[in-house]
Amino acid sequence: MNLSLYVRGNTPLHRLPASVKFGVLFASGIALFLTDRVLVLGPAAAVGAGLLLSVRPPATALRRQLTGLLITLAVIFAAAALFEGVHTAFVVLFRLLALLLLALAVTFSTRAADLLEFFERLTAPLARLGVANPAKISLGVSLVLRFVPEVHRGYLEIREAQAARGLRANPAALVVPLIVRTLKSADAIADAIDARCYPPPHPTGRETTP
Amino acid sequence: MSTRNESGLGTRDVVMIALFAAIIVTLGLVPPVSIGVVPVPITLQTLGVMLAGAALGPVRGALSCALVALLTLIGLPVLSGGRGGVGVFLGPTGGYVVGWILGALVTGLLVKHWVLRLRGRGAQIAGYITACVVGGILVVYLIGIPWLWLASGLTLGKAFVGGLVFVPGDLVKAVVAGLVVHGVRRAYPIPVK
Repeated sequence: MNLSLYVRGNTPLHRLPASVKFGVLFASGIALFLTDRVLVLGPAAAVGAGLLLSVRPPATALRRQLTGLLITLAVIFAAAALFEGVHTAFVVLFRLLALLLLALAVTFSTRAADLLEFFERLTAPLARLGVANPAKISLGVSLVLRFVPEVHRGYLEIREAQAARGLRANPAALVVPLIVRTLKSADAIADAIDARCYPPPHPTGRETTP
Repeated sequence: MSTRNESGLGTRDVVMIALFAAIIVTLGLVPPVSIGVVPVPITLQTLGVMLAGAALGPVRGALSCALVALLTLIGLPVLSGGRGGVGVFLGPTGGYVVGWILGALVTGLLVKHWVLRLRGRGAQIAGYITACVVGGILVVYLIGIPWLWLASGLTLGKAFVGGLVFVPGDLVKAVVAGLVVHGVRRAYPIPVK
């Protein structure tokens, strides 16, 4: 599995900080819903496409992300044209296209670590209130990345073992051992983390628990 | 130093949340399977969402789904078909991903306060299936369909009909999830949280 959708590069969009890119994306999300004019939304979609191409994404990644998107948009366009009229259909199509192409450009041009850091700063007030714990969130994120290949291998092993015994692919018979196996490994992993004293006692540099 | 933080989640809970998120991601990676009743192949990712709430409980199940949503947001291809990125949340189907969080919470609450008190194998399996239908389908669609309506500009009625295409597959998944959770709880009981 490719670990990230990020595309290496040094284009203008790559150089912008994640906060600016997200700010622009957020603002255009609001702006695009404020207008119903095809003459504004059409060019906006073209700008989105231009920005997406400006990060020079590889064709395979582009195709993979766009196929599902275009099918969904085609269905919505057809439904809107049928029930609400052709004008509304174009408004909806261009608006979504502009927004989603822009979002894809941000995704392709921003490292996951930079985005994570941006969200960490965004949720810093929550962390100060004690609602969220950044150290535990980043522990969670890195554990998922570490264990997806592991869980996937477990899945393939179980499926092969069952196929060898003549069992057809049966979701219930497959998923029960997968979950039991994964839950059992949780204890050992938690012990290993605790033995290394993670997360550190002063994640935010503040006073520790009372 | 204690391993529990402000919200009362220890290292073991964080690990379980992350491992279940990994299961949800993995179930989106594997090729879609055909389940007897429905002729079209369906992905197992939403099965993982139902299982998270029913197996881990409301808090940890919801956090598992929130973790998957966070990974999606930062641009990792964790959704079925390798989709990911902030665009998912701006698009017509983004509501389903957000709905998973609340759906797992509701499934978990139903399991914790109702299903676990039922006696008898049949009653428990029926309870798990009901919890998965209420949390994994009703609640998820309660957020997914208005989202589709807002993002697509369709009328609410049309968005409702359009959003229902996945219901038959989801009902089958709820039944599978009920059987799976019952099997898991018999093989390896863990407290729900």
